[in-house]
Parts: sequence; structure tokens; C-alpha cells
Amino acid sequence: MILLDINNRVVEETLTVKIKNSQTGLKNESIDITVADFDGVLYHISNVNGDKSKIRTSISLKFYKQLQEHGADELLRREYGSHLITPEPGYNVSVLLDLEDIPQDWQGFVKKLGLLKRNCFASVFEKYFDFQEKGDEGQKRAVIPYRDDETLYVEAKADRVTVVFSTRFRNEDDVILGKVFMQELKEGLRASHTAPPVLFSHREPPMELQNTDAKVDNNVGYVTFVLFPRHTSKATRDNTINLIHMFRHYLHYHIKCSKAYIQSRMRAKTSDFLKVLNRARPEKATDKKTMSGRVFVRRD
Amino acid sequence: MSATLKPYLTAVRHTLTAAMCLDNFSSQVVERHNKPEVEVRCSKELLLTPVVISRNEKEKVLIESSVNSIRISIAVKQADEIEKILCKKFMRFMMMRAENFIVLRRKPMEGYDISFLITNFHTEQMYKHKLVDFVIHFMEEIDKEISEMKLAVNARARIVSEEFLKRF
Amino acid sequence: MTEIHRFGNIVSPITCHAWNKDRTQIALSPNNHEVHIYHRSGSEWKLLDTLNQHDLRVMGIDWAPNTNRIVTCAADRNAYVWTQDKENKWKPTLVLLRINRAATCVKWSPLENKFAVGSGARLISVCYFESENDWWVSKHIKKPIRSTVTCLDWHPNNVLLAAGSTDFKVRVFSAYIKDIEKTPEATPWGSKMPLGQLMVEFVNSEGGGGWVHSVSFCPDGNKVCWVAHDSSINMADATAGSVVHKLRTEYLPFLSCTWINNKSVIAAGHSCIPIMYSVDGNGQPIFVAKLDASQKKESGGLSAMRMFHSLDKQARVETSDTNLDSIHQNAITCLCIHSGTREKVLKISTSGADGQLVIWDLNTLERSIQNMRID
Repeated sequence: MILLDINNRVVEETLTVKIKNSQTGLKNESIDITVADFDGVLYHISNVNGDKSKIRTSISLKFYKQLQEHGADELLRREYGSHLITPEPGYNVSVLLDLEDIPQDWQGFVKKLGLLKRNCFASVFEKYFDFQEKGDEGQKRAVIPYRDDETLYVEAKADRVTVVFSTRFRNEDDVILGKVFMQELKEGLRASHTAPPVLFSHREPPMELQNTDAKVDNNVGYVTFVLFPRHTSKATRDNTINLIHMFRHYLHYHIKCSKAYIQSRMRAKTSDFLKVLNRARPEKATDKKTMSGRVFVRRD
Repeated sequence: MSATLKPYLTAVRHTLTAAMCLDNFSSQVVERHNKPEVEVRCSKELLLTPVVISRNEKEKVLIESSVNSIRISIAVKQADEIEKILCKKFMRFMMMRAENFIVLRRKPMEGYDISFLITNFHTEQMYKHKLVDFVIHFMEEIDKEISEMKLAVNARARIVSEEFLKRF
Repeated sequence: MTEIHRFGNIVSPITCHAWNKDRTQIALSPNNHEVHIYHRSGSEWKLLDTLNQHDLRVMGIDWAPNTNRIVTCAADRNAYVWTQDKENKWKPTLVLLRINRAATCVKWSPLENKFAVGSGARLISVCYFESENDWWVSKHIKKPIRSTVTCLDWHPNNVLLAAGSTDFKVRVFSAYIKDIEKTPEATPWGSKMPLGQLMVEFVNSEGGGGWVHSVSFCPDGNKVCWVAHDSSINMADATAGSVVHKLRTEYLPFLSCTWINNKSVIAAGHSCIPIMYSVDGNGQPIFVAKLDASQKKESGGLSAMRMFHSLDKQARVETSDTNLDSIHQNAITCLCIHSGTREKVLKISTSGADGQLVIWDLNTLERSIQNMRID
């Protein structure tokens, strides 16, 4: 599992089970599930007003307000249409699934619900991709605080869109591991000619973000993707959005994996060292007792 | 084994063999105490001159001995940032398990990455020549292990970034 | 020709040992606060008694052959004189050592009317029995000892005492107790001998250094030999101006040494083998032979269980390099005369940190080892 899934499986599977049960004629059970996702996102799947056939899937994003500024509402309306309902209190978006009126292509619909978070994100990218296509350079940069302390910046130029992630490493060690990964990403262009150039700066934000409130400290890193028209065109943009919006998790996931691997190696080596140290201990002749309690003496 | 490693380890081995001649020795400062003199450092005449054996500026061993104990401190090769953190992590991992290692000191001496403290109680219970073997084995393996871990991290980083960029 | 003994289940080191007069019994300490007395019958050893009075590690044991008294001293700062009662049980009497650090070594004087105890208090207690008080009392020799006294040996005249210490010096003192003995006659070491008189002081090495581990007077009392942590064996002759003759050996430091006649010394220590040295015409110690000519033991076939056990515990299959090529598997800490006289020793016994006691028959060894000549 090198790449992370962009959909939320728990949401998908929960809904699939619900629909299948309903289709086979089982009685609808009440439901109330809260599911967490990356970036502090919460899904809440519940019944509307205790009606067991009406299943509401809500999502809460801390930064939904910023996304709204970039047309999240419109995009969601496009994707979910009439299924959108008034958001549940405490959540930003709610989508309704009526078990008495299951859509024809329910598999596609469930899949879409699993992508709720991705679709919220997509608005900002689509908007700036459009700016770029139109050659509109006058727009100010989008700033999405997608996690506490971590921010996403998107800016459009006539010939490209730059996406900058600021990401925070938990400690010095993570910074160094992160740097190794970033170094490889920078050189990754050799592996694929269609990939966007990646820039990395540790501590200091890149040129574009200088003189903004972008953080400067030892544990922060900035990753810049330069997306060219070949990435932002209508045909490829979905794929680009899928990849880009998961990048931060992808990076941190693999840093964690590396650390886990290092840990397991250290454990193995340490037990190895202990065994070598054991060679210095004389074998203790332990008394072996027979069933009757007499001492068993080895003759060898 | 590279050309300089072998003589380095040989020198360490011989020095350890000579330095590990430990006797039981009760404290002449505190009544009814028997503590490693190399740690207490109260009686100057019970300490031997410390020896530093170095392979290069970064890789060296400090051997301090006394009448009833010997302290061996090792500076492990750390060529770059990543080797530095791997070494730090590894040493911390081992030192947290110091009670299993018995001869491991919980804190390294300043300027070194890891220290061993061997007392006469250890040499009475264990084969001295195998203790020396252990220290040498440790020195040989630790470099190897750190560079292998580093390679593994680098390999993962490369595959991860290639896989990611390929999808565009 | 070389007998190897183990005592019961003891795998811990033997700190020190001492024989009774007819060598049928041995007193030893298994590296703790106890002293065990074993009786030998054939090749078996039977535990007769456990002297359990000290509360820290026993450091020294000496058994007076004629008066049949055992003296023990320990890191708990005490010494006891043990005598046998009618039921042959050993009973302790506390000795007033008046020291506040560990006692490190103890030796009966040749006439068995006094003994000396070295200590970490940087002094020697010379102890004797005060009959008025029915009590063992002591007199101190302090000056100029600067560090822990590690070893002692009595001159045959019952007065002079050689002491080695961790201040890198060997000193010969007078341990004359005027309350219990006659004025001693002059010796080559000097003629005036009030208690505590420093007869001579030897510096172990000019450059400084080398804790003295063991010291021994030769049978005629004119020569003294000592071994130190600089792997040296040293000799000095009072009749030849007390000049120090030093031999730095290629071995690890010796911990114990004893004269086996007026010309030869056997020393043993961290190298785990006893080695014989003799003194040449100029008073210089010269190497004679190693008493232990053991070859590397062929390790017998490995049982499958043992192989897996070793793989699991030690991450390796062969274990052939675990044992040393010598009989003793760890440092030899104690070396005693087993039989013969001081002028002509026939057998010596060694014990060490490996828990073994080995008795070496010098005559048969002389016949089997090339170059080994005992005069």
C-alpha cells in the first residue's frame, strides 16, 4: 500500500451494507456512527429525526469557511445535487440517502459520498485551475489552514498553478527524515517526465510566501508543486487533485513507516547484541527435577 | 573490512584485554562501600591513565580503567544528519534497556555516543575474553547497522517519491 | 599429576583458601560473607562447617597449622579468630582491629602467637592475645602507608612484616610486640626494630604506578619478591643492598606469588596460569616455565539440543572459543603452599574466580615440562 486511498472506506462500507440490507428486505436499523478522517475531518452518519430509512451523512471540516470562499458549495451542489440537505448542526455539509428511494446507480453514489472530503477540497483547486486556464493572474492567493499549524496555499499564474504546503514535523528527527524524502522528490522528476517539479525548503517559506504570515521555525517545511497546464487541464485535473490533496498524508505516513521500520530493526539488533553478550555468561548447570522430585543429572 | 578498521579493532582488543584485569576492591573512602572507582574517582592512585584509540577524528574509543572497574566509551561514525539521528535513536533504544545489558552505562560520557561500565563483579561472573569479544562485535556491527538503516530509509524515500510522481 | 577440584555446587569464585596442617581440610570463601570448611575423603569433598559471622565479603583466611586456629577478615571491617570446641564446632572470637574500612588480608606469624591484618584504612593491625583481658587486641602500623594495604607476608623471624599496597610501594616493617616476645636479633634488613619501624621501602616502578598485588619473603628471609599490576615480578635482596630487580613480563598482571625454595618463585594471576620464575646470580628474576601446558580442548560432538539452545541464547552454533586453553578459566586469586616445607615446596594449590581449586605437583611437572628445573 504505497499510495493512500482518497475515499473513506468506513463511510462507503457502512452505506453499502445499509443499502444492501434494505434491498434484501431486512428491517432498517437505526444508525449513529462517527468516523474520523485525515485533517481532523469528522463524518457523522445518522438518521434524520429518528426515521430509520433516512440516512444522513455529514462532514465537518475546521476550514470549511475558507473552502466556501473558493466555491465549495457550488462544487458540492454539482456533485450531490438534490441529495444535499441543510447541514446538521455542528457539521458543514450533509447529504441524505433515502432508503425508500435508492438511486439507480447507488454504487456510484456511495463512492461519491466516500469522496465527500476530497470533493470539499477540490473546489479550491478547480477554481485556481480555471483561473490559470483563463490567464487570470490578478486573483489573490488562496490560503487554506487545513490543519492547526499547517496551511495550504494555491496561486494561479497564466502558465502554471503553484501549490505550497506548509507542514510541521513533530521533532528534529522527523525533520531530517522528511528532508531525505523531499530530496528524493526533488530528484523524482527523473523518474517521470510528466510529473510537476517539486521544490522544498526547510524553515524558511519559499519566495512567493515571503513577507506573509507564513511561519518560520525549525520544525516547519514548505513543499511547492508547480502545476503546468498538462496537470490542470480538464482531462487530468481530477487525478491531480486526488494526488495533491493527499500529499501531506502520504509524506507523513511514509515517514512514520520508516520510523517503524527503524524501530523494528533496532529491536532485532539489540536482541542480537544481547545474545552476543550471553556468550560471555557461563552456562549455569541447573538441576533438573524428575517427576518424583529427584535431581536429574545429565551425563554427557 | 577496510584497511584501517582491522588495526583499529585489534588495538582496542588488546587494550581492553589488558585493562580488564579487575580485582575486588572495597572503598577506602566510605565505610562498607564497594563502588566502581572509575565512577567515584575519589582516590587518584586507584585510577589508571585513560587511553583514547581513534580511527579518525569521529570514530574513537575512550578506555578509562581503575582497580575494580573499567569504563569504555565509544564514538560511533556519523557521516551526515541521517546517520546522526539513527545513531542517537539506536543508542537511546539500547540504553533504555541497560538493565538487560548489565554492562551498559545508562548515560554515555560526554563527547561519546555510548559507554559501557564493567566491574569486577561482571568479570567474576562472566568470561572476560567474551566480554572483550562483545565490545568488538558491537563496534563492528553498529557501523554496519546504521549504514544499512540509512540505505533502507533512502530506498524507501526514492520508491515513495517515484511512485507518487509517476501518477501525474 | 594436576588435581582439579570443585566444591559442591559452587560456581562462584573462590575468594581465598587455606589448608589445615595435614591438608585434609580446607577453608575457603565462595565470594560472599561465609567461610566453608571442607573435609577431603578420596576425591570427594564433604562440607563440615560454615563459618557464618561476617556480614560482607570475606577477604582473607589463614589457618595456623600447629595451634589449629583459623583467622578470617572481611570487608565488614572485622576479623575473627576461630577455635574448635569439644564437638569440633568452630567458635569465633572477635578481634579488636580498630579500623573503619575493609580488612583486606590476614596472615598468622610463623610462631602463631600473633597475626597481621591489612586494611583499606591505610594501616596494618598487628594482633596478639592479651591474656589479662582474654581478648585479641591490636597495635597499628600507619606511617607511611598512603593507600589500601593489599598483601602481607611474615619474615621467618616472626618480627618483620612485608606489606604491599595500592600506593605502588612494598615496605618492610617491624611488627615487634614487646609485651609478648623477646627483643629480636639483627637481620640483614636492620637491627633496630621497635614496632612500626620502616626497615626498607621499595618503589614498584620509577615512573610510578603498579598496584602491588602480592608479596613474599623467601624461606631464609633475606629476599623479598612481589608482583604488581604493571605485569612485573620484582625481587630485592637485603644482603645485596636491597636493589630492586624488575622483570616486566608479557603476561597479564599477577595477583599472587610465593617462593617454593630460596631460588624460585611461582606467580599466578589474570593470565590464569601459574608461572615459575627463578632468581639468577645477579638477583634478577628470569622466566623458567609455565606450569600449565594444557592444549586447546577438542570440543566434543554437539548434540542437536545443545546446538539449538546455543543458537537461541547466543546466536551461534559453535561454542569452541568459550573456554580458555588453560585449566583455570578465570583469574587465579590465591596461591598456597600445599605440601613440603617452605625451603622445598612439593605441591602448591591455586584457586580463582572460576571456582576451581587446582593442586599442582611440582616434582611430576618438573619431569614433564621441558626447561623446568627446580633447584
